[in-house]
Amino acid sequence: VLFFLSLAGAFTACNDKGTELKKDGFDRKALLANVGNNIIVPNYVAFNAAATQLHTAAGQFAANPDASSLGTLQNQLKEAYRAYQSVALFELGPAEQELLRANLNTFPADVNQINANIGAGTYDLGTASNLDAKGFPALDFLLFGLGTDAPAVVGQYTTDANAARRKKYLTDLTLEIKNKAEKVNTAWSATGGNYLNTFVNADGTDAGSSLGLLVNQLNWEYELLKNAKLGIPLGKKTLGTPLPESVESYYSGMSSELARLGFQNLENVYFGKDKSGNNGTGLDDYLVSLNARRGETTLAEAIAGQLQVAKNKLAALNDPLANAIRSNPAPANEAYAEIQKGVVLLKTDMPSQLGVLITYQDNDGD
Amino acid sequence: MLTFSRNKPLHFLFQPVHIAPLATFRVLFGAVMFAGMVRFMAKGWVYDLYVKPTFYFTYYGFEWVKPLGTFGMYALFTSVALSAFLVMIGLAYRVAAVAFFLGFTYIELIDKTNYLNHYYFITLVSFLMALLPAGRYFSVDAWLQPAIRRTHVPRWMVGALQLQLAMVYFFAGVAKLNYDWLFRAMPLRIWLPPHIGLPLIGPLMDETWVAYAFSWFGAVYDLFIVFLLADRRTRLFAYALVLAFHLMTAWLFPIGMFPYVMILLTLVFFPASFHRKAVDTAGRRLRKARAEAVPAPIRALQPVWPARLLVGVLAVHFAVQLLLPFRYLLYPGQLFWTEQGYRFSWRVMLMEKAGTVFFYVTDPTTGREGEVVNRDFLTPNQEKMMATQPDMILQFAHFLADHYRQQGITHPKITAESYVTLNGSGSRPFLDRTVDLTKEREGFAPKRWILSFSDSR
Repeated sequence: VLFFLSLAGAFTACNDKGTELKKDGFDRKALLANVGNNIIVPNYVAFNAAATQLHTAAGQFAANPDASSLGTLQNQLKEAYRAYQSVALFELGPAEQELLRANLNTFPADVNQINANIGAGTYDLGTASNLDAKGFPALDFLLFGLGTDAPAVVGQYTTDANAARRKKYLTDLTLEIKNKAEKVNTAWSATGGNYLNTFVNADGTDAGSSLGLLVNQLNWEYELLKNAKLGIPLGKKTLGTPLPESVESYYSGMSSELARLGFQNLENVYFGKDKSGNNGTGLDDYLVSLNARRGETTLAEAIAGQLQVAKNKLAALNDPLANAIRSNPAPANEAYAEIQKGVVLLKTDMPSQLGVLITYQDNDGD
Repeated sequence: MLTFSRNKPLHFLFQPVHIAPLATFRVLFGAVMFAGMVRFMAKGWVYDLYVKPTFYFTYYGFEWVKPLGTFGMYALFTSVALSAFLVMIGLAYRVAAVAFFLGFTYIELIDKTNYLNHYYFITLVSFLMALLPAGRYFSVDAWLQPAIRRTHVPRWMVGALQLQLAMVYFFAGVAKLNYDWLFRAMPLRIWLPPHIGLPLIGPLMDETWVAYAFSWFGAVYDLFIVFLLADRRTRLFAYALVLAFHLMTAWLFPIGMFPYVMILLTLVFFPASFHRKAVDTAGRRLRKARAEAVPAPIRALQPVWPARLLVGVLAVHFAVQLLLPFRYLLYPGQLFWTEQGYRFSWRVMLMEKAGTVFFYVTDPTTGREGEVVNRDFLTPNQEKMMATQPDMILQFAHFLADHYRQQGITHPKITAESYVTLNGSGSRPFLDRTVDLTKEREGFAPKRWILSFSDSR
């Protein structure tokens, strides 16, 4: 190697005219430590707490189903669903092992499958066919979609023929969420599996590196936001025929809020910003250090600008989003278009500048 | 030493030389291919690349090459691995070599997503191996049937393998003689800085001069290494360079088996005496102690095949390879941008290119438009590879048209909006997004719907 380097040096000697000497020296470990310590871990802690409270509230509701315990449970579901938006992106390491995204948030919910499971009284929540019959979308249906008012919903858990089985199903679902949240949270924590340490130390740029995983998941979540949360309800996949009922959280009607929360988390990861707004080392700093450009501006400026435009468009969306799409889809279409422009920057320009790989297979760059 | 006869240039090619270089090449090639196939299966790539996808990007003219299902693919990989093993030990050599060539090539033809120059190289070498009598010395075959054993072959048989390697290096070097590589140190300037964490050389990896040094060294290495290997006086120095260069690339880039393949196969440039020594040593180790223990009588190969026909086949084989890298000149636009005439030309690790493509489908009878979620049909790797390669985009568009026809849209219109960044250029529009791709046909004609690199800035 030394021999090779000295030879390489010899070649440069004839070639350093007109070569600007630049040293980037970006500390990827600092980026990972910031994102891990100040964003991922606190978000999992918060999500785990919300998931635990959700399960507790479900237990209380099942023991004593009335309007009051239902109200508490509904609020806990909303809280947990909000908290989930801040961890959905991190489908790497422990969350990937638990398939957190698929298990907790495959939407729209399959109402027929849910009712069939409840009717049967026996089911295996671990099978692929039950992915859209559990998690938050199923709870969204079970707590907000069974009736137009609280007494009607409570009736399904008290007087209905399947009331007992429905209560059991409800608590089975909240238990699964709680268990998975707990598992992932423990796996990250320093006193548990300490994946945080693994995450910070895998500081290469290959497909298995933390940066590679993070950039890929950031893009995955961003496209999920574009396609599943907005595109499909707007009818992008169905030649313009809207499918408003396929929004996230259709029954509780908080889709726009959840989309904004997911987007906020995505932005936080990109900028390296924690929940209180302290801006640490993020992907933007990395791009700046590389002097990455896009057209007349820096890539970091282009991305920050586009994220801001998309965010403003998302801020203009009303809830329930399904109704907004039915009556006036224009704002959602505009948000969709601006998010789409960001895809190009985040998925093409950023990984290309960072030298991040997306696959494990051999590659000769052609 | 045999001398070149001016009067009979062909005579030189047919002079007998010792067969040992062919035999060691066979053993090394078989061994490294066997290891490569086992590695490929162990990593789960058979499933990821040839079972999991629902759509495959076939090669023009080879649309009939299809994946064989879970069992079929594992059976195919297992038989290719087995033939590599047989090639190595030289058992049923000819059958094994042909089986390896056909099996390996079939796998490569299934999906151009997985095209690598390395794999193309393996296909070419295995084609040569299927033609050459590499199993007639230091092999199980020759041990079982001493009658087939040969000690000498016509010079062109060793020369063909040397020429094959020479072409890979030389064209890879020629491909590096472009502005971005030499005067912008691209793409190494993007690819090296992520390695600052490496021990010893890490701190140098984000120095611009290092990217230039690597670029220039790489170009000079590729252009001249074969000449240095061919000359007795520089051979050892050249082989030290081979080791340094390939181990360095193995360390820095995810290029799998290729560095080791080249490190082993370039030994074919060493003289027959070197290979005979290697074979004798290995033979003694194998306790057969028979290879050349007793000086065997010279038994030159009397080709069963009309030798000149074989030489003719090889002449075509190499002529095609000589021309393919230049076919891009027939196409308008910048090669790296359009990739028309890019493959099969030893353009290795030459550019950092990435893209995004959105497909839109319109029903002309109703005017209604929708967008495609590529991941509903493609793996992340397929989507990534497609985004920068127009022929793959066209293939996928035709697949989508079929898909929507089945959904009841008789004449779907498919358009693509795409952005590509090349060597840090920043993403720019790649294709004419107004063109209905269902009306475009795949073929060798230039694709007029690719925007020009400079105009789309």
